[in-house]
Amino acid sequence: MHVNLKRTLTLLFITIPLLGFAHEVSISDQEILRNGGLWAYIRVGATHMLTGYDHLLFLAGVIFYLTNFKDILKFITVFTVAHCVTLIGATYLGIKANEHLVDAVIALSVFYKGFENLGGFEKLKIKPPDLLFMVGIFGLIHGFGLSTRLQSFETGKEQFLAKILCFNLGVEIGQVIALIPIVFLITLSRKHKQFPAFYKAVNWYIVLAGIGLFIYQLYGYSLGHS
Amino acid sequence: MRKSLFLLLALILLCSHDLYIKMETYFLRPNQEATLSLYNGTFEKSENIITRDRLIDASIVAQGKRSPIQTEKWQDKDTTITQLPFTTGEAGTYVVGVSTKARNIELNAEAFNSYLENDGVLDMIEQRKKDSAMNEDAVESYQKHVKAIYQVGDTKTNDWSTVLGYPIEFVPKANPYEKYSGEKLEVQLLLDGKPLSNQLVYANYIKNGASHTHKNKNAEHTHGEETHSHTHSHDESTDNHSHQEQNNGENHTHTNGQQLRTDDQGYATVELPEDGIYYLRTIYMTKVTDSEELTHQSKWATLSFEVSHKHDESTHTHDHDHEGSFPTWVFILGSLFIIGLLFLVFRKRS
Repeated sequence: MHVNLKRTLTLLFITIPLLGFAHEVSISDQEILRNGGLWAYIRVGATHMLTGYDHLLFLAGVIFYLTNFKDILKFITVFTVAHCVTLIGATYLGIKANEHLVDAVIALSVFYKGFENLGGFEKLKIKPPDLLFMVGIFGLIHGFGLSTRLQSFETGKEQFLAKILCFNLGVEIGQVIALIPIVFLITLSRKHKQFPAFYKAVNWYIVLAGIGLFIYQLYGYSLGHS
Repeated sequence: MRKSLFLLLALILLCSHDLYIKMETYFLRPNQEATLSLYNGTFEKSENIITRDRLIDASIVAQGKRSPIQTEKWQDKDTTITQLPFTTGEAGTYVVGVSTKARNIELNAEAFNSYLENDGVLDMIEQRKKDSAMNEDAVESYQKHVKAIYQVGDTKTNDWSTVLGYPIEFVPKANPYEKYSGEKLEVQLLLDGKPLSNQLVYANYIKNGASHTHKNKNAEHTHGEETHSHTHSHDESTDNHSHQEQNNGENHTHTNGQQLRTDDQGYATVELPEDGIYYLRTIYMTKVTDSEELTHQSKWATLSFEVSHKHDESTHTHDHDHEGSFPTWVFILGSLFIIGLLFLVFRKRS
């Protein structure tokens, strides 16, 4: 935690441009959805999750904090159920917000997880909120972000619910595909004697990424450019 | 009498085959497999293949380079559509063109007049009326020159403005893929490379993939507010003709949509009211006075492209600016680099 400010800012500066490219969703995706039927929604949902670095960074942060597989399963289940609720509910009801603002809040969740993992609350002598509860809350926010993204596509009215469910299924498939190597790497790294340095490095990266994403999203919002 | 009417109708239909280059979507990804079709009939339904001996030129222009399409690459889908399966290249705006040889057709006066009317060759009707020639039979030489402009990836290139040098062709004044629904596109019509003024041009569009299908057997489609279906097929050899209009006997017409007239510089302004695949058509017809065989000559041109809506705050709320410009692997490598750097710092400290 005693890394000097100059070095931290330098790394943050390096990180920001990379974070700007989270969520590679494109006109091509719109074309896939337009022409590909329900399978296309699964595909785009999975692609979105696999390129949704903010979601993955948050999950990586959660997994880093947990030491046994049962806990990992429990927390991931809560996160999944929570994001399904808002993804399906908000999309079906047509509730949406400015995407930059939603993504900015998601960025804060990324920062939060890294901060907590690095013992930030203890250093500030604050009792951290219950993690399972927080993961549930952040799951709802991430789901709302996913919903906002889905609503930015022209989905049409036919098979609307089926399309939402397929997109959601794709998101879950993408999440599982992404989680397998993440869990594997983190589990493997715990056995290594350099794990403390690795733990700090990754969680500092998560903190920097959270800040970088937050700045980027607010910058995007300030430009009114989305 | 019925047989005569039937033959007349068949003749009208025979000579009213527009030719278009059509794709399911004109927005493609780099290195994607795609198919372009030569629609010989209407934009909604192709009724005949294009035999290879008719092709004078078939080219694709991309990245400033014009490449011929090899004849053997064309394939016929049953007897109605000639298609070209291809793989897109780098991102950019592409132009594809096909030019066909001239052919002759002989029509009696009634059939010729009906065809002129149905195909919107109104200036020639007027001239025939003015010349008191409505009862004169015709032998017409016709040739068709068609283009399409499609977009691969998100990078816009300047190939859209390429003049292919066809006897008649449309050339847009701006990249159609930098135009969006709700806007207008100026298109210049060139005859032998020079602006063709005061020429009738028809522009229409279909809503793209999501709302329109061409796979039903009766080819039901919509013209404006009305929907009708065709079950006709016609061939250049004039056999096997039938046509059943199921819409209160309404005449088949190729002149739906916007009727435009080119200005002194050959420009016509096409409205792009909503997302869809747009197609322009024109038939430039002249009387032939120095031939014993021919009475008329026509040059047909079409152009097709797709229009999408603007991706800005008012329509979409996500960022398309950097689509595909920054691959995932760069992000992953960049992240690994930063984590590696941090790891070295913390290892040194511990």
